[in-house]
Amino acid sequence: MADRLSDAGDLSEEEEEEEEEEEDVLTPAELIARLEEAWLNEKFSPELLENKSELVECVMEQLMHMEENLQRVRKGDLKASVHRMEIDRIRFVLSSYLRSRLQKIEKFFPHVLEKEKSRADGDPSFLSPEEFAFAKEYLANTEVYLKAVALRHMPPNLQSIDMLKAVPEPCLDSFVFLRVKERQENILVEPETDEQREYVVDLEEGSQHLMRYRTIAPLVASGAVQLI
Amino acid sequence: MFCEKAVELIRELHRMSDGQLPAFNEDSIRQVLEEMKALYDFIYIFDSFIISHNSATEGKSELIPTIKFRHCCLLRNQRCITAYLYDRLLRIRALRWEYGSVLPTTIRFHMCAEELEWFNQYKKSLATYMRSLGGEEGLDITQDMKPPKSLYIEVRCLKDHGEFEIDDGTVILLKKNSQHFLPRWKCEQLIRQGVLEHVIS
Amino acid sequence: MDTQSYMPVPPGVGMEENYLSLDDILLSQERLPCKTDTGFPGLGFLEKNTENRHIPEGTKMEMPLWLAKGLYERKRRVISVELPKVYREGWRTVFGADANVVDLHKMGPYYYGLGSQMLHFDSPENLEIAQIVLQTFIGRFRRTMDSSQNAYNEDTSALVERLDCLERALFKAGQSGLNAFQLWEKGRAAQLTASSLVTNYRKRKITDLQA
Repeated sequence: MADRLSDAGDLSEEEEEEEEEEEDVLTPAELIARLEEAWLNEKFSPELLENKSELVECVMEQLMHMEENLQRVRKGDLKASVHRMEIDRIRFVLSSYLRSRLQKIEKFFPHVLEKEKSRADGDPSFLSPEEFAFAKEYLANTEVYLKAVALRHMPPNLQSIDMLKAVPEPCLDSFVFLRVKERQENILVEPETDEQREYVVDLEEGSQHLMRYRTIAPLVASGAVQLI
Repeated sequence: MFCEKAVELIRELHRMSDGQLPAFNEDSIRQVLEEMKALYDFIYIFDSFIISHNSATEGKSELIPTIKFRHCCLLRNQRCITAYLYDRLLRIRALRWEYGSVLPTTIRFHMCAEELEWFNQYKKSLATYMRSLGGEEGLDITQDMKPPKSLYIEVRCLKDHGEFEIDDGTVILLKKNSQHFLPRWKCEQLIRQGVLEHVIS
Repeated sequence: MDTQSYMPVPPGVGMEENYLSLDDILLSQERLPCKTDTGFPGLGFLEKNTENRHIPEGTKMEMPLWLAKGLYERKRRVISVELPKVYREGWRTVFGADANVVDLHKMGPYYYGLGSQMLHFDSPENLEIAQIVLQTFIGRFRRTMDSSQNAYNEDTSALVERLDCLERALFKAGQSGLNAFQLWEKGRAAQLTASSLVTNYRKRKITDLQA
């Protein structure tokens, strides 16, 4: 990515003041920082991560709020174009984040739905309700299509396809870059060749690594490491 | 040899690795399906032959390799057709993201009726999803494909497109070779469709 | 990157095949030398040089990987699969000496893919095959990577011609990264461009007209 929202904190002071009245304790700057984290993690992890609907909702509200403020600013005011730019940049990150998620849902839909089905009652859902609806429709639409064009014309024992077997699963063994946010001890690293043995490493705060996603997936989920 | 036609379908798509959608090859699909029927009928005849000669267990086991051979061919044909159709869906999906929800007729012409139906359903699902994101209007995530650098960009018109309304209600005429300074957000799709060209000085 | 919307099903990793991958379907079309260990009644018509109605036990024939995989059984003798030449000892020695001089496209083009697939058949040489396939990849990777990262705006066709399919895909990925980086350096990364799908359709229309 060429651009990062380095100056996401540039939201004007009036806005920050107004924000304080709301229940949410996040400042706009923190909110955008959270979005950025979620965005990078989602972009670089091979599998779909837990949904952050609440965060998305807050950012959407923030965007609308900024749009409203913008309406009040006089046309041609330099401040207006700075704000406009800020809105565009936040909207880009938000769209890109949601796009990454939707792409993975389409790519892995049978597995994503299976995971959702086998989820224990108390566990958090990986899909937002809207994403869940989308994934279900995508599966149904695709099955109807395959059936209508070809499968129903095939011999009786071949008229269905197990989509779980046909569509590949995310490759959790792929390597990812990461930065450590909270120090971790005794991370078990699997051997790469027959001559190697498994070994443990400590991950120092602020250090960067290249590792198999599978090894550190729980740390991504807990927020202890950031994919970069 | 069996399954040659089916692999031809796969080669046809593989040759166009950039994601273009070739015409739906109805004829080849039909031929593969016919071959499958013939293979199936053959196994069926063999099966009933075995059943009717139940006493002759010797004959039965002799035929198993042949039945297995035919079954492999059936599965292969099924795999090729499914992969052909599925890969086409991935291409059709890409069209929604690159062209927007209205496709040029030349491309629609390459799709079979069921594919058009799939495309329409996909469009609907995507629209429903995007509408559900925040506010009344939702969020169009097929826009903003690249990080913005500036609010306004210089664009050149590559073909006559007619009138075009920008945010503040101003209407401008997009005439071939004319140049404009427009809000980036409004132009993204027209640039992707090749109507406008982003000029960088 | 966000900009390429068509994302085909990738080939499987290692010994896996992805059911819907076009690459894997073409890989499994590669032909292997086989011998029947049982008779196949009624299939004589598959053999060109015989009037026989059946394929007798002990017949040598070539069959595609998908069929060999489907018929092969560890416990029962249905067919036995022989090693294609490139995986036999003679060639393994050549690859071991200097993998960089070999034209893997001509020898393959699915040298790594087929090599990994051969491990499905219980050959006593499986260990050696696995080792030489891995060694060959390691031995050639550096050059493939270097050239894909350093050849900007250069004619790389002579080099690419000799690469296996997997290496070509890696080379392409490296080149598109290099190109993106160069664009970014020139400050053009944010330039909005027409979809490659759109431009290619147009190109094709023009060639159609000329044809």
